[in-house]
Amino acid sequence: MDPILAQGFLEASVRVATPLLLAALGEMLAERGGIINLGIEGAMLAGALGAALGASSAGVWGGVGVALLAGVLLTLVFVIVSVRFQADQIITGTAITMAAVGLTGVVYRHAFGVGGAGLTLPTFKPLVVPVLNRIPVVGPALFGQSVLVYLSWAAVPLCWLLLFKTRWGLALRAAGEDPEAAAASGVRVIGIRAAAVLLGGALAGLAGGTLVLAQVGTFAEEMTAGRGFIAIAIVVLGRWHPVGVLGAALLFGAATALQFLFQAMGLGVPYQLFLVLPYLLALVALSGGMGQARIPTALGRPLVGGQS
Amino acid sequence: MTAVLDLRGIEKSFGAVQALRGANFLLRPGEVHALLGENGAGKTTLMEVAYGMIRPDAGQILSRGQTIEIRSPRDARAAGIGMVHQHFTSVPALTVEENIALAAGRRTPDHGADDQLTQQLRLGLDPRVRVEDLSVGLRQRLEIVKALASGARILLLDEPTSVLAPAETAELLTLLRGFAASGGSVVLITHKLAEVFACADTVTVLRHGRVTTWGPLADHTMETLAEAMFGGTLPEDEPLHPLSGVAPTEPSTHGPVVRLSNVSVPALDGRGPGLVRATLEMRAGECVAIAAIDGNGQRELMLMMAGLLPAREGTAEIATPVVLVPADRTTEGLIGEFSLTENVVLGLLAGGVVGTGDQSIRARGWIDWAQAEERTQELVKQFNVHAPGVWLRAGALSGGNQQKLILGRALEQHPAVLIAENPTRGLDIQAAMEIRQHLREAVARGTAVLFYSSDLDEVLSWGADRLLVLASGEVRELPATADRDQVGRAMLTPAGSGTP
Repeated sequence: MDPILAQGFLEASVRVATPLLLAALGEMLAERGGIINLGIEGAMLAGALGAALGASSAGVWGGVGVALLAGVLLTLVFVIVSVRFQADQIITGTAITMAAVGLTGVVYRHAFGVGGAGLTLPTFKPLVVPVLNRIPVVGPALFGQSVLVYLSWAAVPLCWLLLFKTRWGLALRAAGEDPEAAAASGVRVIGIRAAAVLLGGALAGLAGGTLVLAQVGTFAEEMTAGRGFIAIAIVVLGRWHPVGVLGAALLFGAATALQFLFQAMGLGVPYQLFLVLPYLLALVALSGGMGQARIPTALGRPLVGGQS
Repeated sequence: MTAVLDLRGIEKSFGAVQALRGANFLLRPGEVHALLGENGAGKTTLMEVAYGMIRPDAGQILSRGQTIEIRSPRDARAAGIGMVHQHFTSVPALTVEENIALAAGRRTPDHGADDQLTQQLRLGLDPRVRVEDLSVGLRQRLEIVKALASGARILLLDEPTSVLAPAETAELLTLLRGFAASGGSVVLITHKLAEVFACADTVTVLRHGRVTTWGPLADHTMETLAEAMFGGTLPEDEPLHPLSGVAPTEPSTHGPVVRLSNVSVPALDGRGPGLVRATLEMRAGECVAIAAIDGNGQRELMLMMAGLLPAREGTAEIATPVVLVPADRTTEGLIGEFSLTENVVLGLLAGGVVGTGDQSIRARGWIDWAQAEERTQELVKQFNVHAPGVWLRAGALSGGNQQKLILGRALEQHPAVLIAENPTRGLDIQAAMEIRQHLREAVARGTAVLFYSSDLDEVLSWGADRLLVLASGEVRELPATADRDQVGRAMLTPAGSGTP
């Protein structure tokens, strides 16, 4: 393959994978604690709008801050309804995602006007890592990205440490495997689940913010276009492990970037066909076709009895 | 007559654990066949092979001289085999009738030979009641009715009496004899030798996955069976039946560690009395035993003291750390998918239910896994937990070893108060003896132990300093020397209705 094309493909794969990676890491934390949060798509959308609002008045870092806040606030609704009061997680998550579509639309039109077209926001400039970026093909693709991309990479080992090296992580995994046994061992199941889901919400908000601040530089209604659901598939494919999630996110990024590649190569295939590819991949992942994964035993199941 | 079920040379391994090593089992029509063995001997595994839940690594299954293939419970049912598991398999939200229909499948109700038996079994089982509203005894009876409804002529029962009251047990054994008299065959997995002698015709003893003894029960005594199960007669100080107790220790003179004053707790599942205005004081180094029929507030009392249930009224002062050894090892005690080490760390870090936690294996929230492994290895050794390794899934251990691990983890925290709910349930005599010994040592070191067993004989023979009876949620203290009749009467009558 032409090195320029290869470099472009790789660069696009990584860039596209970044919001997926952030959202999936967040979802992974929640699911390790036994909570499946379908509201993550909504939290991403809220994060994207938050980023737009923040960036338009306080620059890119302002955008990041508001994106985090928006993700957390929307997820707080889920936490109250589904974690604290233990309502059905699937229904609550779906309702929150659908509410977020309407809510972001209203706020967006109110803030930026009905047309909204041509809204241009500041974005993160590529941050070139010296030396490393001189590696042929891979260097410019991987080390000429925005700071948010590097942040998402750092989140992978951080999540791993959190899950497997801290008492908090052990308690969270216990809550996800067997909430009653965890409670009997003194874990505050509801509290720890709430914390994990909120952390996931913050990451989802940041994921949405990345779309706006590191990719398109504008906001559009429903711009997340199912990326939150793809992130849920990534968690399955990545087998609830941070490194697996990184690999799965990159795979989905590559599947999406294929369309750019094929357009650039001038093949006569309609690009819409490749738009379908990531979603097909998601279906394959969710149907468990990617090998036997060890799902957290208590995923989706509230704590029975007790008051922890 | 030819055997209705003939298992030959069955082998099965679960990872590093070899559960069955060429086990044979022969079941004839019209017999009640007791399957004995200590925990982890492979009894349940062998029966799960016969029921198609587990595919053996080697061996064959014959029925009436023909080799048969049992690949699934579906095949087993087609071959007339029904199993009553320790964990019930009815759907709680459906009615009795619906559950029976579900089990019977397309089979039309059979008005055959066991009609009388089915009638008898269905006594007390209202077809329109939801299963979640049935008592444990009736739920188990439903399991048997379901097996018969699916056309079973061979009944496999896995420790059926562990959840039953004495009267229910007697009733069940009578029913099983009736079933055998009508030509059916019964396999009874149990630990209780008294039941074996009350009910069985034939006995098979498994030890480490091999058959050590097989033959007519008439050839055996309790001593020979114990010998076959454990490969040595029981230590002299430990009676086969825990009836002859240990002398109560001197009354404790330490300060109070538990002070409950008029504490009420709502019933756990919204039914039953809960705990009603309980007043109780316990001192360090004191062992208090509870006698009660299931569902009379003892669970609420223990969970409240462990900090897992809030009191609705009254005041409770309890010294820390308090640790709970919960009744259900697999759902409340350990996390089956976690390794032994992870389970130990989880318990120690949290400091039990209420406590200060363990400082040595964590620093600022980080876990030192190397040290955790060392601690777990020590614990496994100290408490005689048989495990191939400390990174093995805890779920792969036998019940007795799981319980020893839980107890070891609890005692490791040097609790001020230890609450043990049915700590020896389902364990073989050897493991139960070790558990009792560890609890006595904890008492001697100054831990206040609150102990409950649904087996009244175990409560009475425990050698506790004090005896509490709970009836309809009310706590009453009886002299530690009270006899079985006195306690039995107290268990049936709430405190308000006069002294027994």
